Amino acid sequence: MTDRTSTWPWVVIAGAAALSFTLAMVSPADAVQGNLVRIMYVHVPAAWLAYFAFFVTLVGSVGYLATRSLRWDRVAASSAEIGVFFTGLAIVLGMIWGKPTWGVWWTWDARLTLTAIMFFVYLGYLALRRTTTDPHIRAKRAAVLGIIGVVQIPLVHFSVTWWRTLHQPPSLIRPDGPQIQDSLMLLALVVGVIAFTAIYAALMVKRVELQAVEEQLTAAELSVDRPVAGEAVTAPDLALGGEA
Amino acid sequence: MTAGFWVQARSVADRDLLRERRRGEVLWITIPFGVIALLLVPLAVGTDIPLLRRIGPGLFWVIVMLFGVLVAVRQANTDSPAQRDAAALLGLDPAASFVGQTLTSALLLVGFEVLVGIAAVAFYDLPLQGWPWLLVVFPLVALGLALLGTLAGSIVSSVNAGTALVPLLVAPLSVPLLLAATQALEGLRLGRSILSWLLLMATVVLVLAIVGVLTARPLQETR
Amino acid sequence: MSQWGWVTLAYIVTFGSLGVYAWSIAYRLRTTRRRLRELE
Repeated sequence: MTDRTSTWPWVVIAGAAALSFTLAMVSPADAVQGNLVRIMYVHVPAAWLAYFAFFVTLVGSVGYLATRSLRWDRVAASSAEIGVFFTGLAIVLGMIWGKPTWGVWWTWDARLTLTAIMFFVYLGYLALRRTTTDPHIRAKRAAVLGIIGVVQIPLVHFSVTWWRTLHQPPSLIRPDGPQIQDSLMLLALVVGVIAFTAIYAALMVKRVELQAVEEQLTAAELSVDRPVAGEAVTAPDLALGGEA
Repeated sequence: MTAGFWVQARSVADRDLLRERRRGEVLWITIPFGVIALLLVPLAVGTDIPLLRRIGPGLFWVIVMLFGVLVAVRQANTDSPAQRDAAALLGLDPAASFVGQTLTSALLLVGFEVLVGIAAVAFYDLPLQGWPWLLVVFPLVALGLALLGTLAGSIVSSVNAGTALVPLLVAPLSVPLLLAATQALEGLRLGRSILSWLLLMATVVLVLAIVGVLTARPLQETR
Repeated sequence: MSQWGWVTLAYIVTFGSLGVYAWSIAYRLRTTRRRLRELE
């Protein structure tokens, strides 16, 4: 395996980021939210990727259990790690948006709460993977958890949404996003989603590669022939009469 | 010729910190567990902001007491009996081992308090007046809880007991720390002096430290 | 803090953390490959 790894994923990440940023800056301010609306152009794509990455982890988990090929497990694990990143980012951006808009860091609306719960499901998945070193046992356990977690999400979504509609705090403005009135705003949002998806894909390429190399390293470390007592013990040189 | 007390304690602490760095149990498991507990409560009791502001600080400290003690327990129980015997034969002073383990647990507990505290401030919209005092409160509580957890961990043999015995033993004994911590935060909120509560915490720490050091050697013989 | 202040914070957090995360993947790739080479 050659050491020259491709750099195009990094180029994609930088380019997509620059594109998304530019459009976010040139789009107009919102009538109600003013310039704060620009936070939406990173918050919504991050949230979209949080869900998408989760879905890919499900696909990888099912794929592994169906084929027992570690390729699927690598996809599942990589998507989970990238998913944790985007979920955490979505939460933090939601808080940065919420503080100037509604005066509180956390609004307990259905979407934000659901994203927080998802974050911990992902985190548990990653924590589980850390406890097992054997690749196939780890893959199997993680795949089962991945499926349980993702299948639970619609149920969590439903229950949290229902809970919110029953207990809508009267004084809190419904934290909906601003209305998209301008086509440039819509463009900025759509480009943002596409750009972030490209960033996700590029990160996946590199992260899956990393997973494969790490597995190679673990296998290599286990198979290296090591002398039992190291250099502390040397065999006696019989030619010299047995002196050690 | 064995090394001095503090050198031994330091090497035990270093080893424990290295273990945590490798296993990452506090960072990946215990802290997320604490944060998710904070997340679950408003789902159950309601998200009325004044209500959350009122229960937030107390809830934070309860979570520190109940879940944070898991940090100290893990540290105290990661040695196998063979490892403990070896350490004893090598002349490792059990009191130094106790001090080393406690210091590591206390350090990890401060990390727990800070990260879970940030989540509490976010979820419960807690005010941050008088926050510099937290630089005193957090380490004191962490030290007290670490002492309790390490002591309880060394009393309970992990092989026979379930994982909940140590938290069960520590919980009632942690009440002075819990009360002092919550009253201290309340005092900060109202702008009152919290010195008496800090004194209570310091007393708890002192008493536990003395007991822990004095009972280390007798306890070693029970394992 | 002004609106632009919050927007700046959001963008620094977004692209800053993205950069750090991407760099961490590259860094882990480099070190893991190096350790692999040392073993072979």
